[in-house]
Amino acid sequence: MASRFSGALQLTDLDDFITPSQECIKPVKIEKTKTKTGAKIKIGQDGYFDVSNGRQQKLQKVEITLADCLACSGCITSAESVLVTKQSQEELLRVFAEKKFTNNKGVVQDVSLIVISLSPQPVLSLAARYGLTAEEATTKLTGYFKSLGAHLVLDMTVAEDLSLLEAQQEFLQRYQDHQNDPTSKKLPMLASSCPGWVCYAEKTHGNFILPYISTTKSPQQIMGTLVKQYLSSIRQLSPAEIYHVTVMPCYDKKLEASREDFYSDILNCHDVDCVITAIELEQMLGTDKSLSEVESVPLDCPWPESPGAAPALRRHGGSGSGGYADHVFTYAAEVLFGEANAKLVYKNLRNPDFREVTLEKDGKEVLKFAIANGFRNIQNLVQKLKRGKSPYHYVEVMACPSGCLNGGAQVRPAPGDNSRELVSQLQDMYSRLPPAAPADNKLALQLYADWLHGRHSDKARATLHTAYHALEKNDIALNIKW
Amino acid sequence: MISFFSKLSLNNTPKPPVEIAKPAYMDKSATLEELGYRDENDLRETIYDFLRTIRDPEKPSTLEDLKVVYEEGIFVKEPTADKVPVLRVEYNPTVPHCSLATLIGLCIRIKILRSIHHPVKLDVYIKKGAHTTEDEINKQINDKERIAAAMENPNLRNLVENCIADEE
Amino acid sequence: MDNLKLTQTIPAHKGIAWNLSWHPSGNTFASCGEDKTIKLWSKEGGSWAAKAVLMDGHQRAIRQVAWSPCGNLLASASFDATTAIWDKKSGQFECNATLEGHENEVKSVAWSPSGMLLATCGRDKSVWIWEVAGDDEYECEAVLNAHHQDVKKVVWHPLSEILASASYDNTVKLYKEEIHDNEWNCIATLQSHESTVWSLAFDPTGERLATCSDDKTVKIWKQYRPHNPEGLVMEKDAVWKCVCTLSGYHTRCIYDIAWCHKTGLIATACGDDVIRIFAETEDSDPNAPTFELVCTKFNAHSQDVNCVAWNPLGNRELISCSDDGEIKVWNLQDGED
Repeated sequence: MASRFSGALQLTDLDDFITPSQECIKPVKIEKTKTKTGAKIKIGQDGYFDVSNGRQQKLQKVEITLADCLACSGCITSAESVLVTKQSQEELLRVFAEKKFTNNKGVVQDVSLIVISLSPQPVLSLAARYGLTAEEATTKLTGYFKSLGAHLVLDMTVAEDLSLLEAQQEFLQRYQDHQNDPTSKKLPMLASSCPGWVCYAEKTHGNFILPYISTTKSPQQIMGTLVKQYLSSIRQLSPAEIYHVTVMPCYDKKLEASREDFYSDILNCHDVDCVITAIELEQMLGTDKSLSEVESVPLDCPWPESPGAAPALRRHGGSGSGGYADHVFTYAAEVLFGEANAKLVYKNLRNPDFREVTLEKDGKEVLKFAIANGFRNIQNLVQKLKRGKSPYHYVEVMACPSGCLNGGAQVRPAPGDNSRELVSQLQDMYSRLPPAAPADNKLALQLYADWLHGRHSDKARATLHTAYHALEKNDIALNIKW
Repeated sequence: MISFFSKLSLNNTPKPPVEIAKPAYMDKSATLEELGYRDENDLRETIYDFLRTIRDPEKPSTLEDLKVVYEEGIFVKEPTADKVPVLRVEYNPTVPHCSLATLIGLCIRIKILRSIHHPVKLDVYIKKGAHTTEDEINKQINDKERIAAAMENPNLRNLVENCIADEE
Repeated sequence: MDNLKLTQTIPAHKGIAWNLSWHPSGNTFASCGEDKTIKLWSKEGGSWAAKAVLMDGHQRAIRQVAWSPCGNLLASASFDATTAIWDKKSGQFECNATLEGHENEVKSVAWSPSGMLLATCGRDKSVWIWEVAGDDEYECEAVLNAHHQDVKKVVWHPLSEILASASYDNTVKLYKEEIHDNEWNCIATLQSHESTVWSLAFDPTGERLATCSDDKTVKIWKQYRPHNPEGLVMEKDAVWKCVCTLSGYHTRCIYDIAWCHKTGLIATACGDDVIRIFAETEDSDPNAPTFELVCTKFNAHSQDVNCVAWNPLGNRELISCSDDGEIKVWNLQDGED
């Protein structure tokens, strides 16, 4: 079938995305009924029929779900037909129209609250596409989703802040554990918010690399937990009644949302039901409609505690991928080495997508962080680790060159325009967003205090962290591609 | 230029290269008769005899039982300039989207190459119109590099060995 | 017709002998094969003899070997998904670096003319560019996913850092590094072959490229630059056009092609066990060149010929290897036997 990825994954001038390299190896499970003679199967116009016991019995079609793909992730982004059925714009519009959806277990669920969470990168991408400011694009998008039937449209600042606060704590813990036992595989800590990178690590490098990967959930998944568990409780709704959509810069986020780790059997739902990307929003708006024509509506703020300022998309210091390296570095410099407001001066390595920053104390390098973007730099990082030659304490790893602002599902540059210029335009727009201040986010602090029973509680751990699983190479001979 | 191996040969007397036995079938001028066949038909029948006992990878039946291979599917084509016989083997997968068609092609190829002891050029094809992705499969099962690599995958190799093993 | 005179037959490998690579000095060559070994051959008392056997570098068949331009390093590409780099710093050849990253079989490896870059390709459809980053250190410079099928061969332009790759997807692609942002991009796709392109070879100037395919043809491609005297209009920096197709000569898949940079002779390795040699005719038109078959060596090997390689000294010495595990050394002589 033709790619439904609208050219986003088949970039012409950026070859550095993780691409599917292995085809589906999911074994087809056939429920066999015991017969002495073996099954006799007849092929009809409308399917296969088992005729072994005299009657015609229609055989079940084998269906591969998105969750199966994740369990394999052999193809990361190639299970297109599977992806589009569950997390497509068509599905989203259908849920808006019918106010019900079919969950992962095949149960049809009534929807009483539709929540949209906006991450900054795709909004900036659409702002650039339609010639709007970041703020205009935010309110226009809010208006657009409201016109379709969304009940709440939210920014994700609180989830981003929580993710950074947890990452800084996790780093501190790992650093101390590493001091106690340098062989414990605690450092370097590798960022985990990029699902493409996580999928690749689980599939290709398994148990070797997974201990290094931060267990802190990505902002998308923290937002998911917040909406399904916390928001539902203050609205007195069953979590499964909420349909939660995130707006994201990359397709791999769809895979992340569908992970079994983010499905609750008790709540009977995923934390994020549908991920929609900038490029899909561009398609939804169509060729004849501009986002600028949509009525502006302000973002919602459904939380009991105000975050301190009007809801808005905010930037975090550092990279346009969420500023992980900068935030953790600043915090660690202060807490571990008493260097308040450490200045970060990055040094480019072999290419601008591999940069490092160090903190020197008494002429000694005490902290060494890096940002590694794009597949080639992931390769070099992994090889360094394998050969025991990584000098780093922390690495912010993103699968896309230039990070999330250049995500695989951001709106592509107009024909003839340079993608690099577009990325630098988005970087510029990002740097002009109002700043976030995770440590001072009142809503985040209140959530820790009330909902999570404290900063270091078991509940905070259980709610804000996740786990990774090495994938066994599934070498069932019948499915081997050669 | 300094001799490349001077140091090596000083330190380390090279082992004499292991003599590799020449396969017995290297003489290619032989005619079909000299290779021991009465005629082309005899060659076809011999090939068919190799193929008919190959077991289906999933079912207990043989390719002959399933009519995946059949005598009329074996063609003796114009030999090469060096008079090497050229064989074309066609096979007919049981269903047009059989997921094992490629594997069956691999078994056919390996079985013939293992069984025949004189030079032969082999082309293996799916019967025209018998599979939804026949072009793709045909290309793969006639790519000797892909085949050589596949046979180094232990799981795949085991599977093929089991399918082509002679019955006890 | 010229005559390809057999000077030596060497039973070299158990199983398939896949590939040969001349040392730049022309007095040594390396061979590799299904038996997971690399053998180094040099002349001793008038005949070629094994000087070293490199073992334990790979777990599966070795598909290709390549000497670095300086002649100090040997790279080997294997079906075990790795590329090994051998050197003799310790006195004898040892594998001191392994390039990992390909998902499965690596099919080809090539050094750039400067010796500073390496390219590899494989069944995972990707082409990788590695930079020599220091002693036994190699860093991945780029992962190029331009092909949509198995990539069979990578070859560098003889004079500049332009890479060419041949694929099961029937195309050849060329790549170049963008100076201002250090990104490698596909700069041309050569489309005309009707089946797998197995190998390719540049002429000495790098202005022309010869490709060989499972479609039983050899094609010659020529580069046209902007403002070319022929008046060919182009949007990009340069376009490559197929200016000659040699068809009707080969009767089965052509596995390899070698363009001698000294003599201009083109040799092909074919699945019909024949080695053929072509020479450009004297009155050849640059925009529609003509090549004539100057030698057909029937029965060159008892099975498929996998590789042909001209001695870089330009002494018309040719080596070839085959599925039968043998290497043969030939000398092209004027006139019939």
